[in-house]
Amino acid sequence: MWTLPIEIRNLTSGYDGAPAIENVNLELREHDFLAVIGPNGGGKSTLFKTVLGLIKPISGSITIFGEPPSTGARNIGYVPQNGMFDSAYPIRVEEVVLSGLRAYKGFRPNYDREEKDMAEKAMEYAEIHDLRKRRISDLSGGQLQRVLLARALAPLPSILMLDEPTANLDPSMKNCTYDILRKANSEGVAVMIITHDIGSISHDVKRVACMNRRLISNDSPEITQEMVNLGFHCAPEFLHTLGGCSDE
Amino acid sequence: MSDWISMLSMPLIQNMFIATTVACVLCGVIGTYVVVKQMVSVTGGIAHTMFGGIGLAYYLESVLLVSWFTPMDGALLFAVISALVLSIPTISRRLGQDSVIGVLWAAGMAIGVIFMNLVDYSVVTPRSYESILFGDVLLVGQTDILLMVTVTVAISAIVLWFYRDLQLLTFDETHAKLTGINVNLMKTLLYLMVAITCVMITNIVGIVLIIALMTIPAAMANLFSSSLGEMMLSSIVLSIVFSLLGLILAINFDLPPGGTVTITITVAFLIAFVAKNLSERHGKRTCTATKKIEKIR
Repeated sequence: MWTLPIEIRNLTSGYDGAPAIENVNLELREHDFLAVIGPNGGGKSTLFKTVLGLIKPISGSITIFGEPPSTGARNIGYVPQNGMFDSAYPIRVEEVVLSGLRAYKGFRPNYDREEKDMAEKAMEYAEIHDLRKRRISDLSGGQLQRVLLARALAPLPSILMLDEPTANLDPSMKNCTYDILRKANSEGVAVMIITHDIGSISHDVKRVACMNRRLISNDSPEITQEMVNLGFHCAPEFLHTLGGCSDE
Repeated sequence: MSDWISMLSMPLIQNMFIATTVACVLCGVIGTYVVVKQMVSVTGGIAHTMFGGIGLAYYLESVLLVSWFTPMDGALLFAVISALVLSIPTISRRLGQDSVIGVLWAAGMAIGVIFMNLVDYSVVTPRSYESILFGDVLLVGQTDILLMVTVTVAISAIVLWFYRDLQLLTFDETHAKLTGINVNLMKTLLYLMVAITCVMITNIVGIVLIIALMTIPAAMANLFSSSLGEMMLSSIVLSIVFSLLGLILAINFDLPPGGTVTITITVAFLIAFVAKNLSERHGKRTCTATKKIEKIR
């Protein structure tokens, strides 16, 4: 049976029973590149956490390739927002990437040859192979972002979810991140990113959705007036259609 | 020199050096997690709660003549209970972990003071407050050392088996959860290992100075290590070197061993910290100078 990578129906979710997002309907399709935009505190991260199974929904349903998040989330490679982990931790790049394969390792004490090869390939894919022995605290923001991307890509996921992937990155590093995402997307990985920075969204985005407690999605990469009204309560001049957006 | 040789041949002094070395190995392993997971307050809370258990054991012995429940058993009981309370996510989420630590810390000390005051000194002679709070390594016997070695081997084996999972848990808890690690169970295991380590080293440095041996060598090792394993090994080596140096100074100048070991490790940490900063500055300057020369060329 043909199933969507992610299918969200009438989802209401939040913390301690208080909804942060309400009645959300969204699909992530095969080969999709979806950007979820919206203001800070609009519920984008709550949506991600619910999809990943970190928060239980209050009502509604989520399926990942037809499975609930508890089992389906293994198909997802997740890149957290910078600051959600300890970047001063004494850990080498190759160890971070290997940790993406923890689900493969299970209760074994160490990773086997096959898993180490997968991590090597992910590091080559994200162009960080030469950094593999470096401690992560010695890396720039852009390099660290690629390390997290390599960790997410190591188990060869069908879906990539990225939380504010280009926050605090300079333009060249943003391009570099989007280059990797474009490559993965062209190879069949469905990509979903969330960002509050509309200006940072690249040409590669195929669809856009706007989230501010509720969600509106568009089948084309254009921000509609309805989205502007929902997410930003104004129509500032810098808001422009993604067709005209430059990531320079 | 001959004084030292004759002193080192005394079983009491030998036990002191061996016990301190074993404690350093244990603290090097567990202290590394305490530092990277920023669990210093958790460790302090567990350590101070133990005083309640020690007081309770002395009280039971003096009033009910219970001899099987030793002060070390009391310390272990209170340390394990506080570790379990701290690892229950609902309690920490509702009250805030900091507040829970505060309650355990204060209540443990208060229970200890009350029970110690109720002890019938004609039946039992408890260790002095000074010895409990600041340690008395000379009281460590061969049975204690054997127990310490056994616990160190057991904890090292657990850490070795779960090294990767504990690394992921202490680095990125969300990712650990997503990759199938039972985060709550693993955290409880870590807290229990911290609790047992606290009990094992109480005699060496005492309740108040446990944090010193658990954090300062690991923090020093963190200045120069690029991985968790490297940090653990460096922490063990640094801890042994400076603790033994502290003991030698304590014997030489007739000072309390716990305090002298702590001050020696602290001074070493400060020197290492300054040296690291100076070397980084020098590195930056050299880099800028090289760039300028390249520009001129």
